[in-house]
Amino acid sequence: MKVLVVDDEPLARERLIALLGEIGGAEVVGEAGSGTALLEAAPALRPDVVLLDIRMPAMDGLEAARHLAALDAPPAIVFCTAYDEHALAAFDVHAIDYIVKPVRGERLRHALERARRYSGEQLRQAGDGAAGRQRSHLCARVRGSLVLVPIEDVAYLQAEDKYVVVHHVGGDVLIEEPLKDLEEEFGDRFVRIHRNCLVTRSRLLGLLRTTDGRMLARVEGTGTELEVSRRCLPGLRKLVKTL
Amino acid sequence: MNDTAGRHWLPQFCSLPTLFAVIVVAELVALVVVLTPNAPGPLLPRIGIVSVYLQWLALLNAVVLCSLRGVLDRLSPRSGLLLAWLVMIGVTALAAALIQAMDHALGLGLTGTDLGPVRFVAANAAICALIGAALLRYLFVIGQWRERVQAASKAQVDALQARIRPHFLFNSMNTIASLIRTRPAEAEGAVEDLSDLFRAALGSADASGTLGEELDRVDHYLRIEGLRLGPRLEVQRDLVALPRELPLPPLLLQPLVENAIYHGIEPLPDGGTLRLLGRRLASGIEVRIDNPCPATPARRGGNGHAIANIRARIGYHFGDRAALETVSGTERFTVVLRLPLESIR
Repeated sequence: MKVLVVDDEPLARERLIALLGEIGGAEVVGEAGSGTALLEAAPALRPDVVLLDIRMPAMDGLEAARHLAALDAPPAIVFCTAYDEHALAAFDVHAIDYIVKPVRGERLRHALERARRYSGEQLRQAGDGAAGRQRSHLCARVRGSLVLVPIEDVAYLQAEDKYVVVHHVGGDVLIEEPLKDLEEEFGDRFVRIHRNCLVTRSRLLGLLRTTDGRMLARVEGTGTELEVSRRCLPGLRKLVKTL
Repeated sequence: MNDTAGRHWLPQFCSLPTLFAVIVVAELVALVVVLTPNAPGPLLPRIGIVSVYLQWLALLNAVVLCSLRGVLDRLSPRSGLLLAWLVMIGVTALAAALIQAMDHALGLGLTGTDLGPVRFVAANAAICALIGAALLRYLFVIGQWRERVQAASKAQVDALQARIRPHFLFNSMNTIASLIRTRPAEAEGAVEDLSDLFRAALGSADASGTLGEELDRVDHYLRIEGLRLGPRLEVQRDLVALPRELPLPPLLLQPLVENAIYHGIEPLPDGGTLRLLGRRLASGIEVRIDNPCPATPARRGGNGHAIANIRARIGYHFGDRAALETVSGTERFTVVLRLPLESIR
């Protein structure tokens, strides 16, 4: 069974790896120090189990687990945490297992056995367990690997067929999430300017009218101007005035 | 309750707030006396004369009671207050008699020529007896209330101090468990450091200590965090200017440093440099704790809690002479703690 160990503390990883060595039957395929590092490494390493710390800088374990669900064969996840009541409540029933630090060898063996019995299906639900919290990144699949876009880098989101195109500072990627869900999750961060388009509020520069009477929104960091629907116009005018 | 009541039940007449109350009451009495319908003479000059006289009487009483405090404090509250009240009446009667005699000799007629000397002194003593009883009672109740509030906040302080972030304990234990396999000597050191921290945290809030011991505790704490965070934590210290022998209750600095790590360094993927700067001021010392922090707070709650706890405790121990200021920029957070050099309360 291939195991990936994720914790921001080197000594905590060291100990887990040592314990896994004693248990046997588990092969440590890699270690990562953050949620983002995990998501970079996971598609190539294709682990069966991820031992995942919850409190980590940049991206915590709960969010990383949510993004991992986007993989074709999501690994089983075992959360490791020192003490975090809220986090325990957040993934509650959907977790494959969780263990508290300092981890007992016996407890870890038990968690790995459970992970072996389960398929990756549960993870999709585990991801749902963390829903309702705002993610720090959007995650897209590009040719089998995961591409993370920090939410601060997003300029605007545009719906196209069944995809949403994330236009960000470094280019654009496709994600399979309804625009409406994104609007709900991130609330005030985005403002709707059209049925198919959400713009990052802080990047909105202003409005301009074309010669044929249409309204366009200028968005910072993009060369393009985006069409504003008549329905969204009054609210948008008000917002632009306060800028 | 008994021992707190027995300690300082008499109001501090020499303290500014009490003096102010006494002056205000005296002035109120003066106005009441002047505004009585059948008072003789033009109003304004009379207000002046009566005010001067009553303020003089009030301050005289305050000074006498202040100097008698040592004697009165040794009695039970009831007999002490009674004695204080009698002293006030006696002082007022004597002073009134003196003024009356002077007025009579100079022929100014300020004390009311139509009344006999006995009548003037008796009236003064009676007014003093009534107002003095009310004032003493008021000050006594206020004093009691203040003591109760202080006791309550002290209890709260004790409770707050006992709180340690459980996360820190379990993470440290995890670190130690990991070190035992590979680096037993470091594990031993970590156990010693952790023990020192918990000894202070589980001790009483009134335990005495020195600044030097607190600085050692900060070092122990940072050593443990250093093991945990590895290269992500860098510490710059400039604390040599601080007087290590300065008496200081334990755990006034360490929680601030813990805060800096918990909210500042730890949530940053690449960590950062924690700066500890200490310097002497003309009237005390200043410790500055400066750390980088994420632009958006990564950790909910907790921060204001620790800061408020320290603020309450320095308020309790040092009063107004100590201050805790926070400066929060977008990417740095600074805490400045100023403490007086004089001995603590």
